[in-house]
Amino acid sequence: MTVYITSTGAFLPGPPISVGEVEGILGAVHGKPSSLRVQIQKANKIETRHYAIDENQNTTHSNTEMASNAAEQCLDRAFLTRDKVGMLAVASTQGDLPAPGMASMVQAELGLPAIEILTTHGICSSSMMALKAAWNSLRLGDHEAAVVVSSELSSRLLKKQRYEAATESTYASKRIDFNTEFLRWMLSDGAGALLLQDKPAPKGFSFKIDWIHGFSHAHALPTCMSVGSAGLPDDERTWQDYDTYGEAEKAGALLLRQEVRLLDNIVRMGVDGYLRLVEDGISIPGEIDHFLCHYSSHHFRDKILDLLDAAGVGIPEDRWWTNLYTRGNTGAASLFIMIDEFLRTDEVTLNEGDTILCFVPESGRFNTTYMQLTAVKS
Amino acid sequence: MNDGDIAIDGSSANTTPLISERGRELNPHAQRCLQQLLRVWLGFERDLSTVPLLRRIDLGTYTVEDHLCLLRNLRQQVIEGSRWITRTASSFDRNHAEIRSTIISHAVDEHRDYELLEKDYVASGGDLNDILGMERNVGSEALHGFLMHRSSRPNPVDLLGAMWIIEGLGEKMARSWAERIQELTGLGEDSTRFMTYHGHNDGDHMERFYDMLDEVCVDGPTVRSIIKTSRVVARLYRLQLEEVEHELE
Repeated sequence: MTVYITSTGAFLPGPPISVGEVEGILGAVHGKPSSLRVQIQKANKIETRHYAIDENQNTTHSNTEMASNAAEQCLDRAFLTRDKVGMLAVASTQGDLPAPGMASMVQAELGLPAIEILTTHGICSSSMMALKAAWNSLRLGDHEAAVVVSSELSSRLLKKQRYEAATESTYASKRIDFNTEFLRWMLSDGAGALLLQDKPAPKGFSFKIDWIHGFSHAHALPTCMSVGSAGLPDDERTWQDYDTYGEAEKAGALLLRQEVRLLDNIVRMGVDGYLRLVEDGISIPGEIDHFLCHYSSHHFRDKILDLLDAAGVGIPEDRWWTNLYTRGNTGAASLFIMIDEFLRTDEVTLNEGDTILCFVPESGRFNTTYMQLTAVKS
Repeated sequence: MNDGDIAIDGSSANTTPLISERGRELNPHAQRCLQQLLRVWLGFERDLSTVPLLRRIDLGTYTVEDHLCLLRNLRQQVIEGSRWITRTASSFDRNHAEIRSTIISHAVDEHRDYELLEKDYVASGGDLNDILGMERNVGSEALHGFLMHRSSRPNPVDLLGAMWIIEGLGEKMARSWAERIQELTGLGEDSTRFMTYHGHNDGDHMERFYDMLDEVCVDGPTVRSIIKTSRVVARLYRLQLEEVEHELE
């Protein structure tokens, strides 16, 4: 069974927030401006992003609401009645509730009756996991339509109160704790949704899903991006091993961390995975018309370009397209938000038969995922 | 303090070793070979993270003891390295005069590198007699045996695969390990001179390597032999580094 993406939707909470306004939303820790913010923002080159918290760090939209809003827009744009949707797959790094799964909450919000649900848990690549499972479900003929949503509300992890409460953490004890602060100036909020169907939409472009592949390297590489540990090499406790959640928070076990030193592995493993696909004849670099690459920061763009070029599988830069710089790095939601805008933007000419390569690397413990789409019109 | 010296200032060099600084056109076989070599390298580099001693560099628990152990175990490989390289040069016939010259000059550059390693060892607090008296570890035996065997065959072009891995590691030591080791152990720059010097030198070696690859890699069987040798060397080199741990037991 051939499966198509027939509709898309996105939701970005609140107004676009400029570089200089970010600390006003997330809050200055103990009232002191960050000494790393400008440096990190300069490297990632993100100009505007959105937050689902206000300047007093109150939540304006739940993760469930954002996911549902993106799904609503996707379904409103679809040539399909909602009763045809047989499956809802939802991806997020952290839903509003640790349990039950986020798909249950989003299903309730959307009011889709008696459907099959799936929640995928991970970081950026959880969107691809959800998409692949839904794609396979349609391929097997279990359903004729599935909605896949990815949504992220990372600002709740990044607001000043989290850092102020981590009184006995590396963040409190070091003059500069780069690993703990890095993601604070990188991530923001948003949601994206895709509708999968077993036939193309009757009007406009649909994207045929040619293949989805992933390669995870957790067996060999250490954890690079995480929440749940204090970030000390000799302390194996995770957040639930402390006597109280209060102690875990004090120790900094609830802060979002990035082992920045390990990050280059994601570029290497990303290129390694692509070389695997080229070697196996699954992807042909010369046939790619558009490359939607989820890179977390502009800094990594050139590194990926250089390494692909060196391997002789380079994709010319004029075929790359991203909205990272205006929509922010929304983690798992990034690719779907990107696909949604790609379909509508005037920056790109999309032709029938165009091949689109999508790449979502996840630095968590180095999972790299790839998808190829073909633009079709019925 | 250099937390985050990567990934933020937008100016740091590409930290992937083995990449030619200048773009170049290779013949189609050499290009395909390079692509496969890159995959072998990326797998090798990833799997180095599973070697306990090197994992400790990643995790920040690497100690002075670890460093002394690493240097002791590297020395034999470095000494033997100059032997297989010169053997390789002498195994090329007159139809391969160009590659022979390149390899001879490479051997001249490196054949006394082990002395630098000995100085680093002493500067790191080690006793010179300990490193001088060190035997090849189990992995070094296997690696050296394989390299001497291959380099004794006529026109051993497959050893480009060995050079690829060993040069790549030299660059990686300089770019990723040296400074981090100093930071973790509190040792000075004189503890990692071998790593930094070797890495610096290897940049030029890579340019010559690309030239050699373009020259000799002109058919499918050559591509396959280079790739196979690179895989064997990658595995045996990792074995050598894994065996370091047994000395610590």
